[in-house]
Amino acid sequence: MAIVRFAGVTKTFGTTQVVKNLELELPEGSFTVLVGPSGCGKTTCLRMLAGLESVSSGEIYIGDRRVTHLDPRERNAAMVFQNYALYPHLNVRENIAFPLRATKVPRAKALRRAEEVAGPLGLHGLLDRKPKELSGGQQQRVAIGRAIIREPAVFLFDEPLSNLDAKLRVETRTELLQIQRQLGITSLYVTHDQEEAMTLSDRMVVMEDGRIAQAGPPNEVYTKPVNTFVAAFVGSPKMNLLEGTLAAGTFHSRGLRLQVDDEGEGEVTLGVRPDDLMLSPAANGQAKVTLIELLGPRAIITLEAQGVHLTSVVNASELVSISVGSCVDLVIRNGGAHLFETATGDRREQG
Amino acid sequence: MRGSNVLGIARIALLWLAAIFVLFPMVWIALNSFKTSGQMNDPLLLSFKPTLANWENVISSGILAAAGRSAITASVTVAISVVVGSMGAYAIATFRAGGQLTRFGILASQVLPPAVLVFPFLTMAYALRVNDTLVPVIFAHLTFVLPVVTWFLIGFFEAVPRSLEEQARVDGFTRFQAFRLVVLPQVYPGIGAAAIFGFTLSWNDMFYGLILAPGKAAILPVAIAGFNTFRGVELGSMSAAILIAVVPVTIASFFIQRRFVQGISGGAVKF
Repeated sequence: MAIVRFAGVTKTFGTTQVVKNLELELPEGSFTVLVGPSGCGKTTCLRMLAGLESVSSGEIYIGDRRVTHLDPRERNAAMVFQNYALYPHLNVRENIAFPLRATKVPRAKALRRAEEVAGPLGLHGLLDRKPKELSGGQQQRVAIGRAIIREPAVFLFDEPLSNLDAKLRVETRTELLQIQRQLGITSLYVTHDQEEAMTLSDRMVVMEDGRIAQAGPPNEVYTKPVNTFVAAFVGSPKMNLLEGTLAAGTFHSRGLRLQVDDEGEGEVTLGVRPDDLMLSPAANGQAKVTLIELLGPRAIITLEAQGVHLTSVVNASELVSISVGSCVDLVIRNGGAHLFETATGDRREQG
Repeated sequence: MRGSNVLGIARIALLWLAAIFVLFPMVWIALNSFKTSGQMNDPLLLSFKPTLANWENVISSGILAAAGRSAITASVTVAISVVVGSMGAYAIATFRAGGQLTRFGILASQVLPPAVLVFPFLTMAYALRVNDTLVPVIFAHLTFVLPVVTWFLIGFFEAVPRSLEEQARVDGFTRFQAFRLVVLPQVYPGIGAAAIFGFTLSWNDMFYGLILAPGKAAILPVAIAGFNTFRGVELGSMSAAILIAVVPVTIASFFIQRRFVQGISGGAVKF
């Protein structure tokens, strides 16, 4: 159990700074997810914490121990790699027990302990198999078993679900969260999948170009993105972002007009989540439906209005009155409008 | 259809041709080892009363001891080459030690004619009073076995995913432990193949042995050449000696190679 702290951590490869003056704290027992597009420095952060990458400047602490220049083995962190990195020459039991070989635990005891760990993970019948005889999901579980056997101070996950198929990914995600909650071990998880980040984290850290763009509870990041980057990155389908002008509670973009509950004026970028963009059929409506993608209970609607493309998500029941080619009026749900400065992309303080 | 049939027949014919090319001299040598020197003048003579005189002559001449010395020389050379070579190959594969130049430069020593190296070795052996022992022979053999083994292993180390080693380091092991316990087992098949190859190189070399240990510590190829006496070549004895040199190594490599091919498919790294 530990509080992990990055204090002004910078990482430079050659002349490029991939992580810039990172300040980040992981509260004890928290599940923090670092999320961002590829190349934003999130994996480098994780690897620096693990000790696999040197720190160019700044300090890293685990608990009150400064670990910046310690060997990986001295940090008491457990890591799950994207490819699981199971030892091909060892069977499941030996793989899970392997970290205990580094300590002075006798072999027989380590193997017994591995069986105890394997039980709850559903690996009973597989203990004597080699990694290549396991499915992706099973390999994943072995990797998790190997991580928890040591009762580490910190769990590190480097995109551990990205090699699984969609269904298994969702299942494993839930299991992972349960295991972490049970053990209460501080965890840092890296992913490029914002949905994974939203569902897993109790703290979500969105990174952009080596910097933290926004850190906070996932709900806050979703409802109050601090800039257009976060707004566009978090949420699926993507938030509609329109550049235009605001005057007297009406937003203008090209020929499009939308009522906005805001007193401000000037050049703004309006952000509306597809769920907050409501449609009402109207013969002379300003937008035209160009595409309907049915998701089951809901549907994604692609619209065109005065040369502007928009997406909306509606209940499938509303499709009765909406079809491709029909004209609709657009209304933004109350509180659904996000306003950003066009020049900087930063969120506009509510006027 | 017909085309592929013709191709198949041609391929099999080619393989037979190659097999005959390799086996013919061996069969001829094998026959000779059981012939008297008179019978040897008739190479087409296939049915004759075999004599063991050549074999008795060879065995009493101490050829088995020479084979033993060859085995020791090759084993020690290979052992050193595998230990040093695997560490070197790992460094080159992982850290690009010495840059692209080392990868291929490491084989540059092969270009050097052995005649250039052998006299420095001889003078050093004299100065150290180890001439006509296996010590200088082993060191000389290292000059060509070690680079080949190292070069051979680089590719095997490159095929091992980096994350395996990193995982081991995070799991609480030192870098060397991670190398020994995790990385090395992944390249065992490569090490096996390199060891066989290195062993054969050392086992077959005559030049260094002839100059550095020509007398009481003569290795097998030197001892075989000893049948080329001032009274002429003792073809019968030499044939028997050649068989002693070739057969055990061939049989051993066959079995070891089978085991290692098994090892390769059994420990395949799949993610």
